Amino acid sequence: MSKSKNDVTESETKVRRRMPDVAPLLGFLVLLTIFFTVTSPYFLDVDNFKNIFVALAVTGIVCIPGTMLMIAGHVDLSVGSSAAVSGMILGNVVNSYGISAGLTAVLVYGLAIGIINGFFVTVIGVNSLITTLGTLATLYGVALLIGNGQTLMMKNFEWLGTAQPAGIPLPIIIFFVIAVAGIITLRRTRFGRSLYAIGSNPNAARVVGIRSNRIVFATFVLSGLSSALAGAILCSQLSAGDPNAARGLELEVITAIVLGGASLAGGRGTMWGTIIGLTTIGVLNNGLILLDVPTFWQRVAQGLMLILAVSFDATRERLAAKRR
Amino acid sequence: MSNELVSLQGIHKSFSGVEVLHGVDLTLGAGEVLALLGENGAGKSTLVKILAGDIEPTSGSIDIRGTKLAKLDVYQARQLGVRMIFQELNDAPALTVAENIFLGQWPHKGPFVTWDEMAEKAKAVLDRLEVNIPVDAIAGQLRVGERQLLEIARALTQDTKVLVLDEPTAALSNVEVERLFSVMDQLRGEGVGMIYITHRLDEVARVADRVQVLRDGSSVLTVDAKNASREDLVSAMLGHASAKNNRPELAETGGAAVKVSGLTSFAEFQNVSFTVEKGEVLALFGKIGSGTSEICEALFGLRPITAGKVEIFGKEYKTKGPAHSADQGIGYLPADRQRLGSFPVRSVAENLAVRSWQRMGKFGFVNRLLEHQAFNKWAEALRIVSRGSTQTISTLSGGNQQKVLLARWFEAGVNILLLVEPTRGVDVGARRDIYEIIRKQAKESGMAVLVATSDYEEVVLLADRALVMSRGEVVSELTGNSVEASKLIAAAS
Repeated sequence: MSKSKNDVTESETKVRRRMPDVAPLLGFLVLLTIFFTVTSPYFLDVDNFKNIFVALAVTGIVCIPGTMLMIAGHVDLSVGSSAAVSGMILGNVVNSYGISAGLTAVLVYGLAIGIINGFFVTVIGVNSLITTLGTLATLYGVALLIGNGQTLMMKNFEWLGTAQPAGIPLPIIIFFVIAVAGIITLRRTRFGRSLYAIGSNPNAARVVGIRSNRIVFATFVLSGLSSALAGAILCSQLSAGDPNAARGLELEVITAIVLGGASLAGGRGTMWGTIIGLTTIGVLNNGLILLDVPTFWQRVAQGLMLILAVSFDATRERLAAKRR
Repeated sequence: MSNELVSLQGIHKSFSGVEVLHGVDLTLGAGEVLALLGENGAGKSTLVKILAGDIEPTSGSIDIRGTKLAKLDVYQARQLGVRMIFQELNDAPALTVAENIFLGQWPHKGPFVTWDEMAEKAKAVLDRLEVNIPVDAIAGQLRVGERQLLEIARALTQDTKVLVLDEPTAALSNVEVERLFSVMDQLRGEGVGMIYITHRLDEVARVADRVQVLRDGSSVLTVDAKNASREDLVSAMLGHASAKNNRPELAETGGAAVKVSGLTSFAEFQNVSFTVEKGEVLALFGKIGSGTSEICEALFGLRPITAGKVEIFGKEYKTKGPAHSADQGIGYLPADRQRLGSFPVRSVAENLAVRSWQRMGKFGFVNRLLEHQAFNKWAEALRIVSRGSTQTISTLSGGNQQKVLLARWFEAGVNILLLVEPTRGVDVGARRDIYEIIRKQAKESGMAVLVATSDYEEVVLLADRALVMSRGEVVSELTGNSVEASKLIAAAS
């Protein structure tokens, strides 16, 4: 009895080639695309795809450092609130001092919030989930305080969110540039490779002489900057700073990253995976709108996707543990 | 045997195709203490883990108190009264002494823990052990030896029929060891069967009724403890071949690489002085807890140095932590490969190159081709068996993983290498390979190697010179051909 069991495990270890982690997701995305193409005449259309990606660009920008953090075994939940504060700051400063002052303020703000998160996680040593849960709550309060709970109208600064050089919306271009930089950083640089090492085994990373704290700190700063940029784009699109504009952004970001195959335990994940995960969410949201499904269902679908993605990750970890 | 408690017959066990137990038999009677001896890697721990249901044997039969089983799980083993006490602590440091003694089995009425009853019972058990620890003390604030006694107390409160003690005395003081032995005598009177794993031959005569010796996964000797001479046991453990272990050709050394004087780190080790020459392999030999691995940790910057001086190539050296040490050309191979050494989900190439990324590209970039080339180069030189440079390291055998981690520092071109238990959990064949590699590399690159080990065979086969340590102090030095197993064991115990 026990013998036949052993035979099975042995034959399994002979399977050398592993499927890429994102293969099932890619299959799902293709099925989803086919489904919406068949069910909605408006789906397969250049303008519609522009819509999909404009909607994704803001989330996508935040996803790039988010993926790096997840690979290093950390998470930044504060990105949504942080984007909201960024929008409020931008609105205020642009109205009073002009556009360049506004952008400078946003840049400084992004650095500051990244430094704050990074400081608590790497210097004080607080768990990143807790640290950024704290900054999430705090920053949401700050966003409400700045506008006294109101939306703040902003004049004369629509181009960042709506310009279309060569017919391509500017947010998509910005996302594209950041994504390419992210892919190269993660795959080709010492910084990126160190993130994998840190997430895979933080103790071993220390012993091998990787300066883990500096690297994680820097990644939190990137995350802070990206959330500030995302907030600025959102504010420009709406011509207003809205404290509720980016609510739930962190959920979308984490869903995309985990769907894309990054391990919550750290050490594993790719930028391409995240981008495919992100696209899946975008296509799903867009398709549901085209099918006239009430928008509340989008939230339900997204929540379910997150649970599904995490279960998938957990199952894979368990199977991997068994194989050893 | 009057009253047989345990009978293991023809136990075989393979890990990923490598057989580590070749049909071992073991019997244990009620009220008997069986000392289980053997070198590191002889299969003692695997065997007792099979008895505890922790590991499933590949084949063989297990009979515990008349219940015959093809395999057994942890729960069944507990049901049958098998308890294990490990060298490492398995307690909850945040809970009290009483809670730890009844860990998971707290006396209760309905859902509520009956605290008074628990405290009373805990006190009774501790009295029986003649231990004076307040039952409401927090376990984490006790000394390691005291915490070990709590584990024994826990086994006593449960209905224990078979007690396995896996090197429990390594962290105990002499008084505590004697106390443990008297408790074992008590238990013997109550009909508990005990398997006692140890490296210390002097303990065998004191505590055991019978001795069984394992070597390379086979049982080679089973005798009454009173008939067992020390020489018999040593030669059974070492085997004929390895008893005459050939010493390696000694290295020509070229000036001091590391000079340590009066080095102290709290009570872990005190006033240690030695020099490692360029191209030399120096072994620090001693039991676990004797301070050998702690010295390597301190030199690399993982443990504070409270007094003393370190000189590297004639210059005083104060480490600012592992990253600083690694930048200074010092390498460190930890004993705990899983926890501190490897990046388990990453490829072998990445694991090997991690310390050399700086060299493998410009402006912060890493040329992955160089990574794979480096792996292929070392895979050939060190005979690393893998499916290629992209294989995940955790799917390699222990010996091959260790070779990758060694190659990590070779590739980085370190000139001082600190090794802690470099062949723990590595099979015999790969072990010889690793010794050969380390010696060759030291000779060719003039690297100074310091090895902390509790394995005397390792010292004989690997080191030019050996310092023997006991309880944090250097107790003797062996050089050249006087480095031999019997002298090492005698000096360390």
